[in-house]
Amino acid sequence: MSSVDTSVQMRMRGGRLLSLLILATAVALIIVTPFLPNYYVRVANGLLIYILLGIGLNIVIGYAGLLDLGFVAFYAVGAYTYALLASPQFDLHLPFLLIVVIAAAVGAITGILLGLPVLKMRGDYLAIVTLGFGEIIRIVINNLDWLTGGPKGIARLDKASIAGIELARPTEIYWLLIVVVFAVAIFVWRMEKSILGKAWAAIREDQDAARGIGINTTNAKLAAFATSATIGSIAGVIFAASQRFVSPDSFALQESVLIVLMIVIGGIGNILGIVIGAAILILLPEVLREFAEWRILFLGLLMIVLIIVRPAGIVPRTFGPEKLIRGLFGK
Amino acid sequence: MTLVFHNLRKQYGSHVAIDDVSTVFQPGLIHGIIGPNGAGKSTLINMTAGSYLVSGGRISLDDRTLSGLKKYQIANSGVARTYQNIRLFDQMTVLENLEVCFYPTQVGQVWREILWPPFAAKRRINRRDVCMELLSFFGLQHYADAEAGSLPYGRQRMLEIARALVTNPRVLLLDEPAAGLNHHETTELTARLAELKSPDRIMIVVEHDMDLVMSVCDRIVVMHHGKLLFQGTPAEVQASSDVQLAYLGTANDIDDIKTAAKDRRAQLGIRARRRT
Amino acid sequence: MLGILIQQTFNALTIGAIYALIALGYTMVYGVLRMINFAHGEMFMLGAYAAFLALTLFVGDIGGVGALALTLVFAVAVVGVGLVGVGIERLAYRPLRNSNRLAPMLSSLGVSLSLVTGVQIMAGPQPVAFPSFFPATRIGILGGTVTLVQIGILVAAFVLMAALYVLVNRSRAGIIVRAVSENRSTAQLLGINVNLAISLVFFFGPLLGAAGGILYASYYGIMTPTMGAVVGLKAFTAAILGGIGSIPGAMLGAFILAFVEVAGTALLPVLSGGLLGTEYRDVLAFVILILVLLVRPAGILGEPVSEESMVYKREF
Ligand SMILES: Nc1ncnc2c1ncn2[C@@H]1O[C@H](COP(=O)(O)OP(=O)(O)OP(=O)(O)O)[C@@H](O)[C@H]1O
Ligand SMILES: [Mg+2]
Repeated sequence: MSSVDTSVQMRMRGGRLLSLLILATAVALIIVTPFLPNYYVRVANGLLIYILLGIGLNIVIGYAGLLDLGFVAFYAVGAYTYALLASPQFDLHLPFLLIVVIAAAVGAITGILLGLPVLKMRGDYLAIVTLGFGEIIRIVINNLDWLTGGPKGIARLDKASIAGIELARPTEIYWLLIVVVFAVAIFVWRMEKSILGKAWAAIREDQDAARGIGINTTNAKLAAFATSATIGSIAGVIFAASQRFVSPDSFALQESVLIVLMIVIGGIGNILGIVIGAAILILLPEVLREFAEWRILFLGLLMIVLIIVRPAGIVPRTFGPEKLIRGLFGK
Repeated sequence: MTLVFHNLRKQYGSHVAIDDVSTVFQPGLIHGIIGPNGAGKSTLINMTAGSYLVSGGRISLDDRTLSGLKKYQIANSGVARTYQNIRLFDQMTVLENLEVCFYPTQVGQVWREILWPPFAAKRRINRRDVCMELLSFFGLQHYADAEAGSLPYGRQRMLEIARALVTNPRVLLLDEPAAGLNHHETTELTARLAELKSPDRIMIVVEHDMDLVMSVCDRIVVMHHGKLLFQGTPAEVQASSDVQLAYLGTANDIDDIKTAAKDRRAQLGIRARRRT
Repeated sequence: MLGILIQQTFNALTIGAIYALIALGYTMVYGVLRMINFAHGEMFMLGAYAAFLALTLFVGDIGGVGALALTLVFAVAVVGVGLVGVGIERLAYRPLRNSNRLAPMLSSLGVSLSLVTGVQIMAGPQPVAFPSFFPATRIGILGGTVTLVQIGILVAAFVLMAALYVLVNRSRAGIIVRAVSENRSTAQLLGINVNLAISLVFFFGPLLGAAGGILYASYYGIMTPTMGAVVGLKAFTAAILGGIGSIPGAMLGAFILAFVEVAGTALLPVLSGGLLGTEYRDVLAFVILILVLLVRPAGILGEPVSEESMVYKREF
């Protein structure tokens, strides 16, 4: 028994050092980044958007164990909501925060409408229906020229502003994203720890046994799906506001798959893993410019290998934020 | 308060697994269901819990008809079960396996739990207390933070029963709780089952371990080829020549196994082809 | 009018036959492993590229090549892709057979992505002109024009499907595959070689998919590394429509889907007063998919299955 205790203590001490190291690096990076040249800030913004998308999709894939392959559709819904309500397209110029709320609602409703027919049935079908839905949204955006501008997209979107403060330059967008990512991450983390999160885990582990303990699995899955869609939609709004231009190119089928890849590689079901996954996904092509096409091949193969030899991904599910915090305070 | 099967029937394709079974289960008693392999015992449990639809007849609890309700609705009407092949939430901790059972009663205020940390903390402590008490009852308190799937087999069986008890169900269905347990664990299980007996709980145990059944059950239902062959007290069952012939007779046993295998083959559409 | 009708019927039959070839692979894999093989669309794409490769390696110029040589090229390509399929299952899916439901699907997603990118790197991302395996002769039937390509595709597809039907229903290989589809654990208990059955499925499924790819590329005269995605998705829709796991269902679903698509493409602009153009043809397939899931989730020929009997985790 005592040997177990000491080993636990030792792991604690190592954990504490590791936690300190990780947190210190994170804080340093967050603070230093805005002072770097604009190019780096833009890369960081891209990274943060992907983290946001990852957190959203992870609810469905990592927590509830459902495969959503059309996640980018919700991202597109959010982006186009902003583009339509804050651009010369229809000469509408609603305030940024109002659009965020509208986009969140539209995202949730789309998610529910899509999820309703599918989630009652086998989980597998969700993958195929969402894949189809992603295609539909792309085709519609491409062809509904009067509304979406077709393949040309919509340009000259308004600058975002909150309470009179303009958010347009990369550093401004950066801070907006930092705030949103943290808020969403904390919200989602609390969700995971709530009774709903536990029900998602149960559904993921054994849907039928979950029903057997009285969980209305359709509703619980719908909640996961709608929350995820809402986050995707909000990410889309921020993306559109930062680019001030949207076109169908940003919402290709492959994007959805890449986000799935990112989650699986980083560590499925874990917010910290998503950060790592996003970093690999976004930073790799920046580092290896000449090998742009090899990157996806590499990621694809990496995912297969990881699923087989390390199914938990790079950062396993158990190494979550609470572990970091606990490690820090030595509890 | 009683659980009643009214002319229950179940068919898999053309194979009749349960044929016109009617019986009543009383609270305060432990009911055993026994019978040879393939007799239809699990099918009865599965229909009661709503895992399988009934093909005919009706199941009712008090005045409420259970058959036809969704599985989660049946669970929420106070029916809890374990599975013949253990089905835990493997990658969740032992404690979480129990805590998640609070979902039906707590999901209503889940927003408050997410947005208001003090409320969440209160709930968490509350859930933990209830679950730890149950874990202690089954001697599992030291495993609370272990992954359920990593537990030894015998502990997993106990955990599954504990999970079924979190919501304090009125009907407890146990499908072969002693399967795979060693002698020591079986003794422990027998003791726990006896302690779980309560005036407002209907307990039904499907079991092949005759020592356990005879010592713990108050009433026994004997199933054979999907039909209710006999019911009575343990003593009556042991004395019945029908039961001895159908169930305890060794020659018959082998025949039954053969028939069951043949049934499966027929279902698969495989002609009895021999390798040459 | 009759001419148009005949012509459109042939168009639908041609596309339907191709969808059917691919849908069969999805349905067979789902039957034995209960997984959606997202890499299956890539078998379709690989088929076209493999045939092109075989053609350039062994034959050179397609003009003046005899039917026998072409058939041989076709056979080499589809068998090659079949073997690739077996290899993929062995490496990427088999190690995951006892893990959670998501793992093999995610793995197949990785395989799909890797294959598409791999082909993009080796053959370039741009579309490549594909030489038709059939002469482009046109035939007039009651006022409609049908090409020999279409007839060739129909004949080839039906020969393959008939062969599969015989294989599944009359051979020992077919019996073990069916047994494993029906109930894997029981089949195992009865001493059936489950691995062999699964390998067979992963040989014949990709083989048929590859054949579909060659015929498709012949029909449209073009191939791209990404051609598998949308067609694969539609073939999967067809498989669900017909009843996933059911072989006749896959064929039926494919032809229904093709007819609806062809009819829809012709009628959509007219019915919607020009609002919805032919671009929405692809949308139609998914609308059908969602409707099927709403109205009859088990598909036309599928049996309704409860989740309970689908659990293959720790069965003994
Ligand atoms: N999902 C199913 N599909 C088809 N047949 C089934 C199914 N489940 C059970 N059966 C058949 O129904 C009959 C009764 O099965 P059941 O599982 O209820 O038996 P049991 O009494 O629990 O047997 P055991 O003691 O082996 O657990 C058997 O012949 C079995 O083959
Ligand atoms: Mg049983």
